[in-house]
Amino acid sequence: MEIRQIRKSFGTGENRVEVLRGIDLSLDKGTFCVLLGPSGSGKSTLLNIVGGIDGADSGDIVISGEKMSSMSEKKLTLYRRHHLGYIFQMYNLIPNLTVRENIEVGAYLSKNPLSVDDLLHTLGLWEHRGKVPGQLSGGQQQRTAIGRAVVKNPDILLCDEPTGALDYKTSKDILSLIEKVNRLYGNTVIMVTHNDAIRNMADVVVKLRDGSISKIYRNAVRTRAEDLEW
Amino acid sequence: MVRTYSVRSPLLKRHLRELRGDPGKYLVIFVLLVVTIGFISGFLVADGSMIKAYNGSFEKYNVEDGNFRSQKKLSRAQLRAAEKLGVTVEENFYADTPMENGSTVRIFKIREHVNTVCLMEGRLPEREGEIAIDRAYARNNGIPVGEEICSADGRLRLTVVGYAALPDYSTMFSDNNDTMFDALKFGVSVVTAEQFAQIPEKNLQYCYTWQYNDPPANEEQEKDRAEDLSGDLIREVKLESFIPRFQNQAIKFTGEDMGSDKAMMEVLFYIMIAIIAFVFAVTISNTITHEAAVIGTLRASGFTRGELIRHYMFLPVVVTLISALAGNLLGYTFFKYICVQMYYNSYSLPTYETVWSSEAFWKTTLIPVVMMIVITYTALRYKLGLSPLKFLRRDLKRHGTKRALPLNPRIPFMSRFRMRVLFQNIPNYLILAMGILFANVLLLFGLGLPNVLDRYEKIVAETLLAKYQYILQVPMEALDEDHKLEGFLNMALFADAVETENPTAEKFSFYSLRTPTDTPYKNEEVMLYGMKAGSRYVTVPEDGTVLVSKSYALKYDLEPGSVIELQEQYGTKRYAFRVSGVTDYESAICVFMEQKALNRVFEMDDGYFVGYMASEPITDIDPKYIGTVIDADSLLKVSRQLKISMGSMMYLVDAFSVVIFIVLIYLLSKVIIEKNAQSISMVKILGYTGGEIGGLYIRATTIAAVLCMAGTLPLCYHFLKYIMKIMMRMEMTGWISLNIDGIVYLKVIALGVISYAVVAVLEYKKIASVPMDEALKNVE
Repeated sequence: MEIRQIRKSFGTGENRVEVLRGIDLSLDKGTFCVLLGPSGSGKSTLLNIVGGIDGADSGDIVISGEKMSSMSEKKLTLYRRHHLGYIFQMYNLIPNLTVRENIEVGAYLSKNPLSVDDLLHTLGLWEHRGKVPGQLSGGQQQRTAIGRAVVKNPDILLCDEPTGALDYKTSKDILSLIEKVNRLYGNTVIMVTHNDAIRNMADVVVKLRDGSISKIYRNAVRTRAEDLEW
Repeated sequence: MVRTYSVRSPLLKRHLRELRGDPGKYLVIFVLLVVTIGFISGFLVADGSMIKAYNGSFEKYNVEDGNFRSQKKLSRAQLRAAEKLGVTVEENFYADTPMENGSTVRIFKIREHVNTVCLMEGRLPEREGEIAIDRAYARNNGIPVGEEICSADGRLRLTVVGYAALPDYSTMFSDNNDTMFDALKFGVSVVTAEQFAQIPEKNLQYCYTWQYNDPPANEEQEKDRAEDLSGDLIREVKLESFIPRFQNQAIKFTGEDMGSDKAMMEVLFYIMIAIIAFVFAVTISNTITHEAAVIGTLRASGFTRGELIRHYMFLPVVVTLISALAGNLLGYTFFKYICVQMYYNSYSLPTYETVWSSEAFWKTTLIPVVMMIVITYTALRYKLGLSPLKFLRRDLKRHGTKRALPLNPRIPFMSRFRMRVLFQNIPNYLILAMGILFANVLLLFGLGLPNVLDRYEKIVAETLLAKYQYILQVPMEALDEDHKLEGFLNMALFADAVETENPTAEKFSFYSLRTPTDTPYKNEEVMLYGMKAGSRYVTVPEDGTVLVSKSYALKYDLEPGSVIELQEQYGTKRYAFRVSGVTDYESAICVFMEQKALNRVFEMDDGYFVGYMASEPITDIDPKYIGTVIDADSLLKVSRQLKISMGSMMYLVDAFSVVIFIVLIYLLSKVIIEKNAQSISMVKILGYTGGEIGGLYIRATTIAAVLCMAGTLPLCYHFLKYIMKIMMRMEMTGWISLNIDGIVYLKVIALGVISYAVVAVLEYKKIASVPMDEALKNVE
């Protein structure tokens, strides 16, 4: 994945705020990348542009040789359908579907989905598969959301503050899961977080400040999620 | 671990759960749709079946091609001579018998060949003392089979052994000159030949039916043949009347009238479906707002807009489809009987067989489903047109951030809060206003019509031209052009016989024309009165202009200076008249002009007249020369008949409009509460009581509903007035003004308020059930 000179601003005239000021980034398949930065640094905006749900003012993203800027709305939808998995801070599960069915929502979109049963075991949700989101804890709901994103076996997994609403222990569980998914299935993971400790589990760490990359580096060794402390 | 297999969209599973999770919403819409579709389907099926039965009755019951009445019973020679004219003549004598209950029963002998009797219930008379009476007349007068009926003079007592329908009296016109039929005060019946033989000869009317040996091929030929026949018959028989079938209102009226209100029913139906579709659109839009983040996630995950549109359209369309099927089922079973009954209340139709109507099916199934698809699709396409990101951010506004309307802080806080709820829900209230408007129009119609008819009766009684109008009947023999001398003598005899000593009597001329045939409106008869100058009954202009009756002016928007164009009843010749004023007369569509002018326009002698207007009854003219007496009673036939035929339907309309009212308010206030579930939950956490919360969220809807109810009433009145005018112009002859008493409006509002109160109680309960953790769930 090539991110080239991405620029993005909001508002007009005096209210115009430049959120991304020319981001360049290149990620290999299977890379675990963490985007770090304080609030307003532009990390979520960058993630949304990569996810094709927001557009850049200029610059381009090239995935497997195809430019996103030249994609129609329909093609962008297909791109998301076939290549992306999304995990949000709020789980956004469908309230009247069970855990299993919420995961199947993702499976439905894929031509070669993972086994939902296997995934339920992997995510530790097997016992809860018949419950609806209202019966689950926050951690269980986020596991379900991960399941929904992962089951379609996406090339890229985009995670926007996936542990933002969770406690310390549950956060570690979730991070372990994402790590496991990345290792097992080899998808590229881009995770937005403001939790500095998480950078240690990444292959590539990108620090954003005021819409620019202030620092970018590779970890020689990835710390296991369960060993992270904050 | 990666396998290739396909998964059926789990979203499909939501539909059943959504149904189970919110049964109220779908149930009320389902019931409303089933009732609406069922009624319309029943109406269309009944209409189709009855029209088929009516059309089939001509052959099945061997209906006459015409009838004539002679002064005396025809001799054999006369009969033979008549039959030489290419027709088969049959006796169809009758006697009009005034009954104890104030009505008149026309008694016939059981017919064997022509106009044979259709038995509807019981049996036909088999012996003396038995009678089978017309079913509609029996029903309107509450005469059960087995009961004895008695003539006014008490001499004739007959037991009703059955109900019948006579195919030559599908509509109860006692006289072909009548403007309206009357199935309450007039009925027909059959008795055995033995019983009939007992009727004194002086009471008998010598009526004969004829049938062409070689039936005419088309209507034009039929008219020519009838004209020839009448000319030839006059030479053989002293005719008192001559009515070919195409001019016989008792036979033709039903066919012309049936199905005429179909268009109006269909329009109301489609308005109703559109409103239900909008309600669905509003509830879907609410669901989308509620599920914004989920929709954003699904869109971000790659679900297409089309998939989501289909998903949200599924339930409304399926509910409509199932309702349409269930409605059709009810239409064919339950509602058909109600609608058939409506026809049977007005007309004496024979038995019918239910006819499968493909028209009813596509009009009540396909069109509603297509309407539902189009309206919900359009609404969803618009609503889901936003980017996934906007959904994820729950930012569903299209045009930037809405600024809060500044409210004066001196307004009490609770009032400001309520005003905010009101402003926030304006789109919902607009739909509510539309629904209330529609329900109110129906309610006003249902509650108002009896009142309108009462007022009409009062006006008719108050604005009579004269207490009595006598239309003289010139004997047919006086019109015999082939025997001019005889005709002249007869005419002279007639002229002498119809002079009266009554000091209040005033001669008038009369001519009847019709509205032009090239207008989109229903062709109707216009009566032209020629009054003498300085008449005590109508003061007519003497400058060649005309006055029109108030009903004519109101129906066709005439005013002084307008020019009316009228056409010969059975021809194309046209006449134009300039209107110089409007009289108060409201009972008929009339034109008044000077007698001399009228006689001249229609090429008649200056002394020509057709009858008398009088304020005292005329007693010194032989009744056989009096064709028709127009008094208040005869003018009220229209309203009487409308009351009978529409009476039962009015309750249905009332019930239906109350149901629509309740359903719309229920659904829309439910939407408002659901939309605010989180805020309601939040204020609950803050410590607001149930009453306070209800005061905020329900009172806002109360204010909107009451404003809509009161505000739409004047609009309803004008809308109804407009519809009535169009309907009267298109489908009815005559005119009834839409005068509604204030009390009816109060009743409409009262019914609205009661309906609303029922819903409000349900909604208070709903507010109480909003859980407090709602506010803590799923908030970013």
